[in-house]
Amino acid sequence: MKRFVLGVESTAHTFSVSIVSSEGEILSNSKSVYKAPEGSGIHPFEASQSHIASAPAVLAAAVETSKVPLGEISAVAYAMGPGLGPCLRVGGVVARTLAAKLEVPLVPVNHAVGHIELGCLLTGMKDPVVLLVSGGHTMIISHSGGRWRVLGESLDLTLGQLLDQLGRHHGLASPCGRAIEEAAMGGGYRRLPYAVKGNDVSFSGLLTASKTMLDGGTSFKDVSYSVQETAFAMVAEVTERALAFTGKREVMIVGGVAANRRLSEMMTVMAGRHSAAMASSPLEYSGDCGAQIAWTGWLAYSSGSWIPVQDAKVRQSWRLDVVDTPWRS
Amino acid sequence: MSTRPGEAEPLPGTLIYRGAEADITLGTWQGLGAVFKSRKPLRYRLPALDDSIRRQRTVREAEMIEQAKRAGIRAPFLYAMDLPRATLVMEYVRGDRLRDLVGSLRTDEAEDAFERFGRSAARMHTAGIMHGDLTTANVLMKGKDLFFIDFGLSARTDRLEDHAVDLRLIKETLVGAHPGVAQAALDSLFRGYASEAGTQRFRSVLRQLKSIERRGRYARVE
Repeated sequence: MKRFVLGVESTAHTFSVSIVSSEGEILSNSKSVYKAPEGSGIHPFEASQSHIASAPAVLAAAVETSKVPLGEISAVAYAMGPGLGPCLRVGGVVARTLAAKLEVPLVPVNHAVGHIELGCLLTGMKDPVVLLVSGGHTMIISHSGGRWRVLGESLDLTLGQLLDQLGRHHGLASPCGRAIEEAAMGGGYRRLPYAVKGNDVSFSGLLTASKTMLDGGTSFKDVSYSVQETAFAMVAEVTERALAFTGKREVMIVGGVAANRRLSEMMTVMAGRHSAAMASSPLEYSGDCGAQIAWTGWLAYSSGSWIPVQDAKVRQSWRLDVVDTPWRS
Repeated sequence: MSTRPGEAEPLPGTLIYRGAEADITLGTWQGLGAVFKSRKPLRYRLPALDDSIRRQRTVREAEMIEQAKRAGIRAPFLYAMDLPRATLVMEYVRGDRLRDLVGSLRTDEAEDAFERFGRSAARMHTAGIMHGDLTTANVLMKGKDLFFIDFGLSARTDRLEDHAVDLRLIKETLVGAHPGVAQAALDSLFRGYASEAGTQRFRSVLRQLKSIERRGRYARVE
C-alpha cells in the first residue's frame, strides 16, 4: 500500500513543506525563501520571523498541491539539524504540532543526509562519492559501515559562503552564486591562492585575496571567473582523490551550489577520467527543500526510526557522519 | 598550440595505477625496474593553473623524498625527474597499499603496522617535514616495512598546526574509509607517534588536532 510522509525543512533561509509517497513520488514541494537585505547575510532571527509568517501558507499549499488528505499521512518528518537555531525551531514546532494533531510518528532527519538521499532518488545513483556544496556544507562523502562518511571537507568557509561573501563584498544580497556564475561568463583568469591540504580544502585565503583584487580595481567579471575556476578546481581535485581512493563508480553533486553549470562541467570531466558516472541534483531540488526531509523521513520511518514528541529537539551542530542509515543496509 | 607538460608522448611501460592526479606505469630505467609517475594534465582545470600546480608538485615531491630519506623514512629511491613531462622516475617498491591490506591484516599485524606508521609520522615531523597527504593509500607495506610515497603536498615546517593537519588527515581517512578498525588503528598509531616524538610533543599535537576538528562544520569534539 502506498504511504505518504510530510516533511518540513527550515534549517536556514528556506522554509519548505513537501509530501512524498513511499514510491518516491514528490507530490508537492512548497517553499518560501527569506531574502537578506542587499550586502548582508542571513540574520537568524529575521529569517525565523519570516518562516513563522510564511509557515501557514506554505503548509496549506503543500497539502493542497499533493491532493493527499491529511488523514492519510503516515508520518511527519522534520530537519532536526544542522542549521540555525531560531530557524530550526520554527520547523520543529510545525512538525510537532502536526504529528500530535494527526497522531502519527515524528521522524527527525539530518538535513545533509536529506540532500544526499533525495539526490540519489532523483539521479538514480546507488553508491556515489558525493560532493555536498551549499551555504552550510562543503564535504566529500561516501557511504561505508552503515553511515555516510566524510572523506574530505573545507577546513574553514563553505563554498556557498565563499561565493556569498564575495558577492556581498560587491554589494549583492545572499545567495550570490547565480550572480557570480553569470558575471564569470567571458571573464579572464587572474592567479588566486589554490589551497588543497590532503583531502581537504581551505577557502579563507582565496576569499581574502579575491576581495583584495576586487578592491584593487579588477572587474567583478574577472574576479568571479577566477574565483570559480580556482575554487571549483579545488573541490573537483579532492573529489577526484576520494573517487580514486574508494574506487567507486559514481559521482553526485548535491546542495545549492550543484546548480552551477561550470562546477558540474568540471566534475563531469573529472569523473570521465575514471570512467565514473556523474550527475547533479536537478535544479529544482538542489537547494534546501522539504522533499529532502520528506523522502529521507520515509526511509528512516520505514526502517523503524522515529521519536516521541517530547524528544523532538533541534541540533544546531549535527554532523551527518554520526547518523545511522539502516535503510541502506 | 604548444605542447603542455605531461602531454608529449605516452609513458614507457604499462599502466599499473591511475590515481587522482598521476598515472603510474611500470617500466625500466637504465636497466632497473622503475616506476614512472606522471602528473597528467587535468582537463577540468585551466591550463595556466594546472601546469603550474603539476610542475610545482613534481619538484616538491622530488625534493621531499630526498629529505624524508635523510630523516630515516623509507621511501622509493628517486632516479630521475623529467619536468617538461611532470614525471618522476623512481624505484619500484614491490609492496601493497596499506589501504588495500587493512581489511585482511590480523589484529597484531595491524597493531604493529599502525604503530610503525605513527613512529614514521613522528620522525618526519621531528625532522621538520609535513607529509601533507598521509592517507592509507600513500603507505606501501612490504613485509613489515612501511614505505611512504606521494610527497607532492609535502612541506618543510615545524609548526604544530601543520603536523596536526597530517594527523587529522590520517584520522579522517581511517574514520571515513576504514570505520570498522579506525579506533584500534588510531590507538596504535598514536602510541607509535608518542614513543618517537615524546609524550609532551604528542600531547601538544593531539591538542592542536582537536582544535582543528572543532573548526569543522557542525563538529562536536569531546
